[in-house]
Amino acid sequence: MSSSGPQRYEIRVRGHLAPRWAPWFDGMALVPQDDGTTVIDGPVADQSALHGLLRTIGDLGVPLVSVTATDADAPTHPSRRTP
Amino acid sequence: MAGPLLESKYRAPGRRPGTVARPRLLDVLDGTLEAALTVVSAPAGFGKSTLLAEWLAAVPASTAAVAWVSLDERDDDPTRFWTYVVTAVRAATGVGGSALGLLTSAPSSIESTLVAVLNDVGASSRDVVLVLDDVHLVTSPEVHEGIAFLLEHRPPQLHLVLATRVDPPLPLARWRARGELVEVRAADLRFTEQESATYLNGPMGLALSGHDVATLDRRAEGWIAALQLAALSMRGRDDVGAFIAGFAGDDRHVVDYLAEEVLARLPDATRDFLLETSVLERLTGPLCDAVTGRDDGRGTLVALERANLFLVPLDDRRQWYRYHHLFADVLRAHLTDERAQTIPELHRRASAWLADTGDVPAAVDHALAGGHVDRAADLMERAMPTMRRERREAELVRWARSMPDEVVRVRPVLGMAFAGALAQASQFDTVEQRLADVERAVGPAGGAWPAQPPPGLVVVDEEGYRSVPAGLELYRAALALRRADLGATSAHAQQALSLTPAADDLTRAAAGALGGLASWARGDLARAEAAYVESLAGLHRAGFVADVLGCCIALGDIRRTLGRLGDAERLHRWALALTDPVAPVRGTADMHVALAGVLLERDDLTGAAEHLDASRRLGEHRGLPQNPYRSRVVQARLLEARGDLDGALALLDEAERVHDTDYSPDVAPVPAVRARLRLRRGELRDAEAWARDRRLTADDETTYLREYEHLTLARVLLARRDDAGPGAAAGLLARLEAAAEQGARSGSLIEVLVLRALVAQARRDVPSALDALRRAVTLAEPEGFVRVVADEGPPIAALLRALPRHDPAHAHGRRLLAAVVGAPAPRTLVDPLSDRELDVLRLLGSDLGGPEIARELSVSLNTVRTHTKSIYAKLGVTSRRAAVHRAHDLGVLPRVR
Repeated sequence: MSSSGPQRYEIRVRGHLAPRWAPWFDGMALVPQDDGTTVIDGPVADQSALHGLLRTIGDLGVPLVSVTATDADAPTHPSRRTP
Repeated sequence: MAGPLLESKYRAPGRRPGTVARPRLLDVLDGTLEAALTVVSAPAGFGKSTLLAEWLAAVPASTAAVAWVSLDERDDDPTRFWTYVVTAVRAATGVGGSALGLLTSAPSSIESTLVAVLNDVGASSRDVVLVLDDVHLVTSPEVHEGIAFLLEHRPPQLHLVLATRVDPPLPLARWRARGELVEVRAADLRFTEQESATYLNGPMGLALSGHDVATLDRRAEGWIAALQLAALSMRGRDDVGAFIAGFAGDDRHVVDYLAEEVLARLPDATRDFLLETSVLERLTGPLCDAVTGRDDGRGTLVALERANLFLVPLDDRRQWYRYHHLFADVLRAHLTDERAQTIPELHRRASAWLADTGDVPAAVDHALAGGHVDRAADLMERAMPTMRRERREAELVRWARSMPDEVVRVRPVLGMAFAGALAQASQFDTVEQRLADVERAVGPAGGAWPAQPPPGLVVVDEEGYRSVPAGLELYRAALALRRADLGATSAHAQQALSLTPAADDLTRAAAGALGGLASWARGDLARAEAAYVESLAGLHRAGFVADVLGCCIALGDIRRTLGRLGDAERLHRWALALTDPVAPVRGTADMHVALAGVLLERDDLTGAAEHLDASRRLGEHRGLPQNPYRSRVVQARLLEARGDLDGALALLDEAERVHDTDYSPDVAPVPAVRARLRLRRGELRDAEAWARDRRLTADDETTYLREYEHLTLARVLLARRDDAGPGAAAGLLARLEAAAEQGARSGSLIEVLVLRALVAQARRDVPSALDALRRAVTLAEPEGFVRVVADEGPPIAALLRALPRHDPAHAHGRRLLAAVVGAPAPRTLVDPLSDRELDVLRLLGSDLGGPEIARELSVSLNTVRTHTKSIYAKLGVTSRRAAVHRAHDLGVLPRVR
């Protein structure tokens, strides 16, 4: 994993998050999944930005399921991404 | 200083009505009183604060006092954080107040403060439970280190409780392994089905079936905030069963779902109020009115609290509240979603109200949050004089780092203040650049500063604009000192002084001290003295006591070197009287040490020991950075004066390890002090190794900064007992004497003359030796210098005895003689020699014959013979040669090699 430049992350939380929370996640997409989770997907500037996101999730009391670093270029959910 | 304190932040919240009794958790928390640390760690809305308030209400006041601090993001500033903690401890216990003096007197030292608090708590008969609520909001490593320090050094009476959403960065495993950790975590805090039933059907006034409760509890996973929202949604509903089914069958985040339900059912006016005031961190009626433009703020807050709408009271008088964090986030999300365009205006109103009521930092935060950067900059600029006076440097540094460069570049007053704050905080990285920006912006043509700011620049503090040129010079002087460019330091400091208005005590004091420091390091002590006196007066007028004491260390040293021991003593006694005996500021210990040094020089060993004890009793935390090493050097010299040379050596080794001159010139380096002690111990090789190590030679150019080392080198040369030593030393001392005389350094001069006397004696030039000694003693007498002479031991004792009775220096010489350690006192003779007999004996040691001696003393040859017989009898010898030899052995006569 490259230590500089943005890295794409897929953060999965339990429950469906309303789209109004999007500003809390700085341009990332909130994608509701059929299994009752939400995937927060998008580029994250650096490690401290990632920690900031996780903290926001904690502050909202949303249970965190997983955090995955994904390929920076390929969108993870091309078919389901919100614009 | 941390600025005005909000009482609501350090008041323990009372029990909240309608709380479910949770005996299983209260039992766990009872372990707090046996443990070092209790961590209550769970996400928002798990009832952490409520549980703690419940437990604390049941702890009898006779068992433990409770200090509570509700933290927020701004407590990342260590001074602010610890000011609240100490204030809370003091409010709860009445002890710990003395530590506040350390925090509020700059330069503040967190560790010093903590030691003072721990000492006070450790001396207290009651236990103290210190609760830090919402500790996750504090992320600064300095604060975390302070908390770790507190834990590591805690007295058994202190129990720390951290309520947090994330585990604190502390070695929890260590405390767990020692059985010193009590933990209450999310799994423990979740409502059991039984607790959910008690809560929903009790305080929330519902009448739910067991099945409904189980469904809700399962969906909410015992999360109290969710259950509370659910209860609010169900109140007054006819179709409770349908609501529960809808909730259970929905995938939405529980809070999202429920908050929407709750908000949708509120009257529009209440909903508007909640959304608009959600921009506030803390709420009070008039502030809400300012933000909403309505006049029902206070009433609405009371009604919201009564309706359990996630409003947390911050004080007993119901003046200040905050929204529950989770609910505040939901409200802000709705506000952003529905009317984002109104948010900047809401922040502007909040900022205006806060600025009017004096909470400038909070007003600045709202201005920045609303995107009103220029408004924030205006507020900062206007607040700057007060912030500077109150030494709120951490806040200023935070401001400096948060304000965009392009805004600061057109604001010379703000730019100057930021440069100053960063320099004060020793964050020099951008200072030079910021000063250059200010200068370029104002563009002084041909050296003259425009009386009015050039067009395009923003100045709200016109007084501040007038002091920009002085500030520029002042901080350039500080930068010059940092790179040890003394000439530039002096020049800039001088410029700053000439540009500063007479009424600006602080700038004048800072410039004076910088100039004084540079003059001191360059050996111009008269000028340094004048600068420090001026600086001290300014600091005194401004009420900066710890800074006054810091200046007094330098000024006392300078006066001693100038030979003004009495002035140094008066200065230190005056400075000690400035400090509050109940809450002594940092620097108080330094004043005791300085006084001990003066008294020691006067040979008042008892007085010196008392002041060293006083310094020790105050603790190192009441000392400025130099005190650890300075106190050990004075203690070493006291032991030396008492003849404990081993103890003195050990202390000097310690002094070297803790050495820190804190920007002062190192005018008496510890290794040189130790080399002198080595000589006194007869360890010439060690002293020679030191001189080699320091590359010192008798031909060196003599500068003031190396004066102490060169005087030490002269002693090394003298101790060599070879032919070349005294000659080399003589040349060096002649130059040192000229330099000391030229610099009017009488203190230095006494020492030079003492050494010249010893060198002349070594070269068998007794008249020159006595001449130099006479001058030294004459200079020493009026100010009471003793040890500078007496520390030379038996060789100087012999010379002192040789001063004739009719000599003006004779009387003080006798006093000096009494202070010499290890000098064989003449009273070892059963019948001591009279002064006249000593005169004769001295000449018996020369090549003169009897008649010549008689002529020299203007007496008859018979008289000389009578004296000679008497001398032989007293010394128990029978020949002139034996008499001289014996006299040398006894130290009655100076030894001649």
